[in-house]
Amino acid sequence: MTHNNSGNSDELRALRSAVRAAMAKYSPETQVRDLMAAETGFDPVVWKQLAVLGLVGLLIGEEYGGAGAGPIAMGIAMEEMGGALLVSPFLSTAVLVPRLLAATADEAERAAMLPKIAAGELIATAAFAEQRSARPPVTIATTATADGEGWSIAGEKHFVLDGNAAAVIYVLARAEGGPAVFAVDADAAGLDVKSLATVDQTRKQCRVRFADTPARLIGQLGTGMEVFEAALDACAVAFISEQAGAARRAVEMATEYAKTRYQFGRAIGSFQAVKHMCADMLLEAESALSAARFIAKQFADHAPSRIADLALAQAYCADAFVFVAATNIQVHGGIGFTWEHPAHLYLRRARSSAQLLGSPSWHRERYMQEIGGTT
Amino acid sequence: MRDDELHAEVQDWLAANWSPDIDLAQWAHAVFEAGWSAPSWEPEWYGRALTAAQSRLVTDEFTAIGAPGCGHDRENFFACTVHDVGTVEQKRRLLPPTLHGPTQTQWCLLYSEPGAGSDLAGLRTRAERDGDDWVINGQKVWTSFAAIAEYGLLVARTDWDVPKHKGLSFFVLPMRQTAVEVRPIHQITGESEFNEVFLTDARVPGNNLLGEVNAGWSVLQIALGHERRFMSGRGFASKENKVLEPDQDDDLVELARATGGLGDPYIRQQIARIEALAAVNRWNTQRAKDTTDSNEAATLLGLGKIAMSRILHETARAKTEIIGAEAMLAGPDNPVGDGVTFQAFNAYLTSIGGGTDQILRNIIGERILVLPKEPEPYRHTPFRDLPH
Repeated sequence: MTHNNSGNSDELRALRSAVRAAMAKYSPETQVRDLMAAETGFDPVVWKQLAVLGLVGLLIGEEYGGAGAGPIAMGIAMEEMGGALLVSPFLSTAVLVPRLLAATADEAERAAMLPKIAAGELIATAAFAEQRSARPPVTIATTATADGEGWSIAGEKHFVLDGNAAAVIYVLARAEGGPAVFAVDADAAGLDVKSLATVDQTRKQCRVRFADTPARLIGQLGTGMEVFEAALDACAVAFISEQAGAARRAVEMATEYAKTRYQFGRAIGSFQAVKHMCADMLLEAESALSAARFIAKQFADHAPSRIADLALAQAYCADAFVFVAATNIQVHGGIGFTWEHPAHLYLRRARSSAQLLGSPSWHRERYMQEIGGTT
Repeated sequence: MRDDELHAEVQDWLAANWSPDIDLAQWAHAVFEAGWSAPSWEPEWYGRALTAAQSRLVTDEFTAIGAPGCGHDRENFFACTVHDVGTVEQKRRLLPPTLHGPTQTQWCLLYSEPGAGSDLAGLRTRAERDGDDWVINGQKVWTSFAAIAEYGLLVARTDWDVPKHKGLSFFVLPMRQTAVEVRPIHQITGESEFNEVFLTDARVPGNNLLGEVNAGWSVLQIALGHERRFMSGRGFASKENKVLEPDQDDDLVELARATGGLGDPYIRQQIARIEALAAVNRWNTQRAKDTTDSNEAATLLGLGKIAMSRILHETARAKTEIIGAEAMLAGPDNPVGDGVTFQAFNAYLTSIGGGTDQILRNIIGERILVLPKEPEPYRHTPFRDLPH
């Protein structure tokens, strides 16, 4: 199955159906809850199936065994995965790392790693954040020192997606020649990976420490910041589709409940107080979907305004998903306040997603700078 | 026809026919004869059978050189309603004059009444047969352009002994008769865009009934659909053109720069928030145009009016924060404060006019999300027995 950038509509419809069917099969609520409770949130059987379906290699070039698809196809897949709250290392392994390796233009590393990723044989992630911010730090504290043929990393990274499942971690570190990307194997000496207790248990995060850990340089010294910025932007294009798809699912949950829950002898959705909440949820979720699809097209077309548009869309989709997931709980009333009901899983995902690649206010400020809004 | 061929044809036609000093009546006639007034309509109804998207392209070409007269198939909801509902005779008689008129508005809307706003079906203006004519008595309100209109789209009650929705009929009322009295309404903005219209034994010829007798409610839904679609695209323009379309000319960044607030992180966040609202509204509209799924398009268009309402109110709110104390001042000596207050007040045109935000949310809930309706205790009660 190949998916081109122009977004042939029959192909894209087929892709959506395939992903939706896969999610119904591999990511029902019982599976989501089982993996929430597991440390790595990684089911090897399901992951293999996602690879066989071509989803893990969706963004990976055909020369490396992938589908060679672009952001529009990936957006569709992410909408469906978001709706199902798929628990997997998809965002790190199938989105962020392929985008990062593309940005490094390191052909040897791509040839070595991407075929394994596309085949579902390798979990990989990237480590860039330090301390309090989920964005790459302005001044990188993690250092890389030349050590014979290779390099040695020292420092600490925070909010590392799927760090405890990854066989390879791509690390942003500062060398004498400038910031760069370094690859660290999971079994390297001096590597300490600690799982973090996360609000959203469907997405696993880790704190990773490097104590003179051996590493390989990927790409060129001095390009690390630009490479990570480009990779995170490309990753965000897919990420907002996940938020929008999950938001759309939360609207469906609320309206289904409002039609079937009776109080005062009426379905609660017949009360305007509830109906209006549902209408507002629909506006936010549909707007988020429009934003995500527009941005995917902008990136497919390399539109000049795509970074400013992405910044607005990231802020909007994050806020929209939080609003919709929160209002969904309110529509459900008491049952929505129970752990057994899935409504809170969406709010947890929404609140975490609103920070993962930068907060809404960070993206709004970025937008202002992109459009030249300086004093 | 391909879009590039259409572009070329429109541009060639404009180059051959348009000049800025052309007589406007002559121009309107030429546009009409060429089929550009309502390009998406059928050739027999003065159009060119273009798609809606292509019709928009034509309008864009006209707008680009400042030529009026195109886009009646979107913006002239009098004409759109007659086109959708009228008989062959009515279309032949009523459409050409309104499509000719780029410089004057030739029609107005006679729907709301002092006692029938959100509950429009509760209206009490009476229409009674007198020979071939209908005789109209009652009072209408919130009518734009009443003083200059040739026709009014009128909903009146023709049967008082059936439930409220089932006794209404839709008429095209000739406005220029002494039985029609127009009084301007002084609005909170200081303008008088709207009027009250008093109808005392006003007459409508029998062939100006649009649709069947007592089927006026369904005709009204078609007319309101055109109006809401139009409003979601551009908000509500005022006759003095003080209001800007929110995605044009409404530069919050420049306002903040000019008033010294652009360095304030709070103001910067507000600006980006508003710009995001405006951007997603454009992206919703774009998606509605691009999709081949008519349900998806209907959903997005149905959301457009409450989205625009929020954009207008929020833009005015952000501008108020940007200009600060200047927001207390009015009049020509204080154009910035005056303009911002105008925008804040004028935003209610969109959140009340054409169906309040709350009524629109009911419609979204019931028609798009298929949530159950409110119980209707008077559903089967004859109108004359309703409490009021």
